[in-house]
Amino acid sequence: MSDHTPLVSPPIMAKAPPVGPLPRLQPPRPARFVLSNGLEVVTVRRQVAPLVAVNLMFRSGSDADGAELAGLGASTADMLDEGAGTRGPLQMAEELEQLGADLWLGCGRDGSQLSLQVPAKGFPAALALAADVLLRPRLDAGDWERVRHDRLTGLAQRRDQAESVASIVSDRVLFGDAHPYGRSSDGLEPSVTRIGIDDIRRFHATHYRPNNAVLVVAGAFDETTLQQQLEAAIGAWSPAPIPASPPTPALPPRPRLVLVDRPAAPQSIVRFVSPGADRLSPDRPALSMLNAVLGGSFTSRLNFNLREQKGYTYGAGSSFSFLRRPGSFSARAAVFTEVTAAAVTEFLKELRGVREQPFTDDERTKARAMLLDRVAEGLATSSGIAATFAELGLYGLPLDEPERFIAALERATADDLLRLARKYVDPDAACIVIVGDRAAIEPGLRELGLPAPELRDADGARI
Amino acid sequence: MVKIEFETFVLANGLTVILHVDRGSPLVAVNLWYHVGSKDEVIGRTGFAHLFEHLMFMGSKHAPYPSFDAIMESWGGHNNGTTSNDRTNYYEIGPRNLLETFLWLEADRLATLAEVITEEELEKQRKVVLNERRQSYENRPYGRTELRIPEVMYPPTHPYHWPTIGSHADLEAASVDDVRSFFERFYRPSNASLTIAGDFDPAEARRLVEAYFGWQPRRERPARPAPTAPVLAADRDETMSDRVQLPRLRLAWHAPALFTTGDADLDLAAHVIGGGKSSRLYRALVFDKRIAQDVFAYQSSQLLGSLFHVGGTAKPDRPIADIERAIDDELARFASEGPTAAEVDRARNSHLSDFYKSLDHLQTRADLLNHYQFLIGDPAGVERDVARYEAATPASVRDTFATVLAKHRLVMRTVPQAGGDAEAPEAEVTT
Repeated sequence: MSDHTPLVSPPIMAKAPPVGPLPRLQPPRPARFVLSNGLEVVTVRRQVAPLVAVNLMFRSGSDADGAELAGLGASTADMLDEGAGTRGPLQMAEELEQLGADLWLGCGRDGSQLSLQVPAKGFPAALALAADVLLRPRLDAGDWERVRHDRLTGLAQRRDQAESVASIVSDRVLFGDAHPYGRSSDGLEPSVTRIGIDDIRRFHATHYRPNNAVLVVAGAFDETTLQQQLEAAIGAWSPAPIPASPPTPALPPRPRLVLVDRPAAPQSIVRFVSPGADRLSPDRPALSMLNAVLGGSFTSRLNFNLREQKGYTYGAGSSFSFLRRPGSFSARAAVFTEVTAAAVTEFLKELRGVREQPFTDDERTKARAMLLDRVAEGLATSSGIAATFAELGLYGLPLDEPERFIAALERATADDLLRLARKYVDPDAACIVIVGDRAAIEPGLRELGLPAPELRDADGARI
Repeated sequence: MVKIEFETFVLANGLTVILHVDRGSPLVAVNLWYHVGSKDEVIGRTGFAHLFEHLMFMGSKHAPYPSFDAIMESWGGHNNGTTSNDRTNYYEIGPRNLLETFLWLEADRLATLAEVITEEELEKQRKVVLNERRQSYENRPYGRTELRIPEVMYPPTHPYHWPTIGSHADLEAASVDDVRSFFERFYRPSNASLTIAGDFDPAEARRLVEAYFGWQPRRERPARPAPTAPVLAADRDETMSDRVQLPRLRLAWHAPALFTTGDADLDLAAHVIGGGKSSRLYRALVFDKRIAQDVFAYQSSQLLGSLFHVGGTAKPDRPIADIERAIDDELARFASEGPTAAEVDRARNSHLSDFYKSLDHLQTRADLLNHYQFLIGDPAGVERDVARYEAATPASVRDTFATVLAKHRLVMRTVPQAGGDAEAPEAEVTT
């Protein structure tokens, strides 16, 4: 057969094969026990790889930093493995590596976490190291001076990254400086400069407490001895009262257009930013479906339009951040500089459209199937299981929340989605944040009838 | 201890098939590797293998655009593809009832893509790829330097001379005829391997693979490039400016190809030199002298030859010459004294742990099976791969590294552009 003769396909190729019924997802049923010091422990045993994944989630994140010390929670997480017990910072790293263990500490908006992945045979030794990190960190002033310098340099480098700049600026504009979510979790140069080692010691002593956390262990651990091992390693860790979170301030008025100038940039980062919902909101399952249709999938309306039809971008999307306090809704894309205004027009069209065009049955079926698959895949690895149940613990949600979420997806009607779109997606009330070449894009934006932009620097401060 | 159970067979048309059952979750993953990458491109059409990967989603005869993504997503599946110098892979994952759909979609585009591709579709994906180039390299700090390194390290005749993303001019020049001839040449069953992993019945999967792929004719495997091993004839020294706050130094040497003698030694050497907080460069430059913000070392292993990279980013107000000198001192000491037994042990454990992590995930497990099939014609390569690291000793790591260090090298500096943020970054090359 010559290379250019079309092949004659057999009949089986002619049309898409039938798709059988979706398999029933049975999320793993975790075991649960409580240590003598009140720490809640959730476990899922799994034997796929000889690996144990641990996630210890504290219910205090950068939310607890305070306005003056933005970056405190993140700095604390960074400092905890800089030497602990009898070990200096480098010795700690060496011992973890000897075990093949990955230990990671981090701080998000609402929670701080320690996560650990280690080959099963090294788990007991890694647990002992993690216990030192949690209970006996050195938190040495000299080490903090070094780490602070690294962190301050990192904040300067962040200005090189257009996407990071867009995130910092978006949060600051939407929530305002008085709101914990308005401040960067890593802080800004003035706030990180103010942080002293005593602040870090205090954050650790206040928030890293067993009654403020949930511990998830997933993978190939030894069931018969786990509770005993945990009691021996961290049973002596004492509970303490945890201060209440500050109240949620009202959001400031939103400017229509905010621009961060990045001269000669080949792309503009475009974001539509507006208020979203909180993690416990009953709207969350239906909003997740709405988002899957609008910007949460490859075939979503936003990506299909801006990438596939117009070729403006490598990818367009949208997301809700569901946090303890109401988070944000944002729609986004990085587009060719020269089509910035045209891209804004398409965003407006799609975001308005979702409030007007009813959702089809196919769109809802797709959204359900995709979200169901996302739940299944999230629970298909040990680290995914640990992260899933730790997140539920952070927000005090029951362990059968994945099943509840799936059931709620079944109940969401087309009317529900339209009602929620009208409530949460309003491009005419959103703030448009653009990081790009001002000289090249401002005239086009003005032609769209947008007001003169409010100018911000790469840290989100008004110019 | 590191083992993946599988069965394998070859269709009459040459398609290699690997089946790996894991009934832990009701998911199935399909993973398809084609032995074609940017190394198979011709001068004047760089970036084509990757652009072609994008076109594979633009519809086939029985699943016209945008069916590929639309059908799959409507049932909860998702997919992507990646292109490297050496190979292109495509993968789908989703609920197990999608297995037949995945196979039909992959088989149809392998059989018919060239029949239906249009100028309009090519044009759309050309724009998407040009945007990807901006997003991943041009608008990303130090991204332009990454594009420059292969141009210096490999002569124009070597297929690693150009980056996978290609050049603007070549992407603009690509035509529908190019698409057809590339497809005819490389997209053949005999040039591919297909892995199915997850919750399925192997006998049923075998029947489906035969039905959807078995009818496609056998054609010879295309020839694969076998260039002579590249050498740098002299040290190279370049400086580029970019929109960055801090200068970065990058050193690069030619090194043994993926899976050949010395490759695993250099992975371990890189780890001891610059892999994480327990590494020598971290201790010397970041922790003790505090002249660097970050340091790195890695062996970038590839089929036709590898590059060994070392570098770091200078702290504010610290001259880049300081980190250059400090790195040179550490490398010279490492080449003469070698690593300690404890250092090799740690690097090895860390490496093994990474293997375990990739085994935990269905799609990466499927990818690993195809990776070894591609590399050594045997999906069971994971055991041989691990054995390479177990065989390494402090002496073998030292000797291999010393051989690499003795070669000519590239010194590449990326410095903040002179006019602050006001100018577009430019590659100003001083040799």
